[in-house]
Amino acid sequence: MPTEPTHTDISRRQFLKGSAITPLALMLAGSGIAAVYLRPATAGGFTLRPPGAITEKRFLAACVRCGKCAQACPYKSIKMAGGEAGVGIGTPIIIPREMPCYLCSDLPCIKACPSGALDKKLEDIEKVRMGTAVIIDRESCLSIRGLRCEVCYRQCPLIDKAITIEPRHNTRTGEHTIMEPVVHKEKCVGCGICEQSCVLPKPVIVVQRTVEIQKDNYEF
Amino acid sequence: MELTRRDFIKASAAAAAFAAVGVSVARPKGAEAAETGITWGKAPCRYCGVGCCVLVGVKGGKIVATKGDPAGPVNKGLNCIKGYFLSKALYGKGRLTTPLIRKGNKMVEASWDEALTLIASKYKEAIAAHGPDSVAMYGSGQWTIHEGYTASKLMKGGIGTNNLEPNARLCMASAVVGFMNTFGSDEPMGCYDDLDLGDTYILWGANMAEAHPVLFSRLIDNKLKHPGVKLIDIATRKTRTTKMADEYIAMKPHGDLAAVNAIIHVILRDKLYDESFIKQHVNFKRGKENAPYGLKDKEVFNETPADIKNLTFDEYKELMKQFTPQWGEKISGIPAKKIEELARIYSDKSRKVNSLWTMGVNQHARGVWVNNLIYNLHLLTGKICKPGENPLSLTGQPSACGTAREVGTFAHRLPADMVVMNEAHRKKTAEIWGIDPAKISAKVGLHTMEMFRAIDRGELKCIWIQCTNPFQSLPNVSRLRKAAEARKAFIVVSDIYPTKSTEVADVILPSASWVEKEGVFGNTERRTQQWFKMIEPPGQAKADTWQLIEFAKRMGLGHLFPYSEKGFYKEMWEEYRKFTIGVGKDLAPYEAYAKVRGLRWPVKPDGKETRWRYTETDDPYVKKGEGVKFYKAPGNKVNAWFRPYEPPAESPDKEYPFWFCTGRLLEHWHTGTMTGRVPELKRAVPGATIEMHPEDAKRIGIKNRDMVRITSRRGTIVLPAEINGRSTPEKGSVFTTFFDETKLINELCIDAFDPLSKEPDFKKCAVKIKKA
Repeated sequence: MPTEPTHTDISRRQFLKGSAITPLALMLAGSGIAAVYLRPATAGGFTLRPPGAITEKRFLAACVRCGKCAQACPYKSIKMAGGEAGVGIGTPIIIPREMPCYLCSDLPCIKACPSGALDKKLEDIEKVRMGTAVIIDRESCLSIRGLRCEVCYRQCPLIDKAITIEPRHNTRTGEHTIMEPVVHKEKCVGCGICEQSCVLPKPVIVVQRTVEIQKDNYEF
Repeated sequence: MELTRRDFIKASAAAAAFAAVGVSVARPKGAEAAETGITWGKAPCRYCGVGCCVLVGVKGGKIVATKGDPAGPVNKGLNCIKGYFLSKALYGKGRLTTPLIRKGNKMVEASWDEALTLIASKYKEAIAAHGPDSVAMYGSGQWTIHEGYTASKLMKGGIGTNNLEPNARLCMASAVVGFMNTFGSDEPMGCYDDLDLGDTYILWGANMAEAHPVLFSRLIDNKLKHPGVKLIDIATRKTRTTKMADEYIAMKPHGDLAAVNAIIHVILRDKLYDESFIKQHVNFKRGKENAPYGLKDKEVFNETPADIKNLTFDEYKELMKQFTPQWGEKISGIPAKKIEELARIYSDKSRKVNSLWTMGVNQHARGVWVNNLIYNLHLLTGKICKPGENPLSLTGQPSACGTAREVGTFAHRLPADMVVMNEAHRKKTAEIWGIDPAKISAKVGLHTMEMFRAIDRGELKCIWIQCTNPFQSLPNVSRLRKAAEARKAFIVVSDIYPTKSTEVADVILPSASWVEKEGVFGNTERRTQQWFKMIEPPGQAKADTWQLIEFAKRMGLGHLFPYSEKGFYKEMWEEYRKFTIGVGKDLAPYEAYAKVRGLRWPVKPDGKETRWRYTETDDPYVKKGEGVKFYKAPGNKVNAWFRPYEPPAESPDKEYPFWFCTGRLLEHWHTGTMTGRVPELKRAVPGATIEMHPEDAKRIGIKNRDMVRITSRRGTIVLPAEINGRSTPEKGSVFTTFFDETKLINELCIDAFDPLSKEPDFKKCAVKIKKA
């Protein structure tokens, strides 16, 4: 279970105030700190970005840290990363467990982005690819253990597309159905609503970096 | 869960091991899971009518874990997500721990003695000035059997009024009247085993996937095991049930009344019926028609014997000729071809057909009629009283059957199918209760809607509400809330948390809940399940039985409850049990229930349960060779009723163009007073939404999660839209849930009710929709 990145929940006003001195602070911080923080995002340190974010490396270069996407977000899902994000300081992040992306159909965050870090060509919310939900702890998943939970499935905004239920016989009771939620990465937008709604203390379904579909010759 | 996962698994394994080797885990003291220091006891789940068994782990006077009971025949160790967090229902924020008395706008802490003395003085004052019918009690299908029995004896045998109602009036009353006027006895002939044994399941307006979660998982397993099993979902919206069904048949709201008639028409027209079964078991009857909708106060509608006509089978066939499939299509929206097909499925001799229904049929301005008509389908085709082949009315509360129906806490009922209008029934009751028969009033008390309207009219002076939340759950609730807020009656509310009902109370009493007291529940399939007290209630909270009996003492009625402190539950049970013996509703001695995970009545003399009623294969009241015998019906013949189509109370029009329907979802239960305090469930589903068809939403310019104003002739409310979510209503309909206490959805609902069952129709009224 990767630890969740901490963040600073700052309002737009605070952020604007803060952002004026941030570059200065960064410069002063010196190379020691830079060695700790200035690392590219890796699979382990996956950062969930707003809808339409271009690839992480290019995103970090393109994003001007203006906070306009966060300001445009009606649910305050988009927050601005604090110093712990290293080079990502002041960039927009989404922490699903606190507030996932609710996929506004008009994508106001993208419209607000002046830099192109959020891709304006993206108009269809079903084409958003922030990441992919993955059931990371099957042993703990209540649905896979046979309970009638499936909260992630029913809360999924792309129910029956991004998450489906694969029913199978519960061999332990002999009389019930295990209703297993299965994520389909070609449909999952990575909004994190499943991660937010998971009823266990540590969500068993979390959004991770989308792994590209590997092509081979086996097409059925 | 305070327990770590590892502890939990260890403890569960220990408990399961005990269960497997037959060591009783019934008494917490008896089964110590030594490794963890947790004692386990058995109980039925607190929530719905499915009746899952749970094991409750107690340590240091606190519940530290619950788990599905592997020995529980209903759920075999499983739960739904509400059941998983069961113990949190007791440990939510704001438990009521001390009696509170209204002083102006403030609720002030008081002692039990002060509170109970005040209640008694108010009741005495009202009775002295206006007679016993000026006071009332409103209870619950979540009351334990002992609580309901205490209330019934107190009100009907002590105070001398039949103004006693359960909230089950809002959910099961139509099923009750349907059972009574068709079979002469309440509750189903079949049981959950039919879900495993049948091959065809027809759901009438029931979202079983969410409202009966563990049962649905059992039903789907039958489908997985047997590819021939067919599940047909006839409904007004596409739900999670639809997703797993083989076929979805869209129906207009209220369309069931026409659709079932049209199916029967085809069965009769094409002679698909079982003539010998009909000849042997069925009478045909026609009741009173052109019924009102209960919208006017004090409107009376009764179907007396003088209103009932006997029909011959030929006369019945003649009457049914008008309900052609084409006519059925016009009214129900179900294509005539489908109606023909359904008639063939119902009468297919090679199929074991089951009908399943719940609130869609019961909360219906003609709910009794639809219940009657579904029974007709089974009676005409002889598909009844056979393993795997039955109509099954599903219930929604843990003891709607056990308490509200079997004890008979309705305004017209006495225990075990008896009624107050019948002199012999009053006499038998008085005998068991050891009172003068004259004490029990022959006058039917106020049914729920009239009870609360009578507060508004100033006719009802005192009401005591226990274990339910009417000031959120009743339809057209703003009228009733205004009356209460105007202090038109003295209102006592016993509950475990502050609710929309405690808000308007004059006295609030803190109650013990679930395993904080001993109790017995009865579920959908006639299964009676007992549990022991396992923990102390918080603060000064007390069991509802204690509250009622202490009140009775102050009313000079303490003699009605002569039970010893130590033998209280057993002694009361054995008294109640007398009502059930020899009348086909036989319950077992109290000790028997401590040892098992419930028994389905009638319990046989050898202590074994009955799975199927009215059949020689299982029912002790039917002798070998008699086959099927409806021994509770006069002349052993049941009634197939002619019930025509009559429109709903309110339909969409130009001004209010949408149907409005309300219901349940899986994560929350009823008015959310318990599940709303479970943080995990609250996070999963924080509030109500309005479900709409995507095309309707697009037309009005509403996007997913936009705020939407919904307005009926009675009220208005703003909810976020949910489009293409867990359910999608048919075009022209919207749906919402009633659990969210911040949104009084029932302010919009019409207070129309079924004239026979007096059950309100929460499923149909007209609203307009606009972007907020």
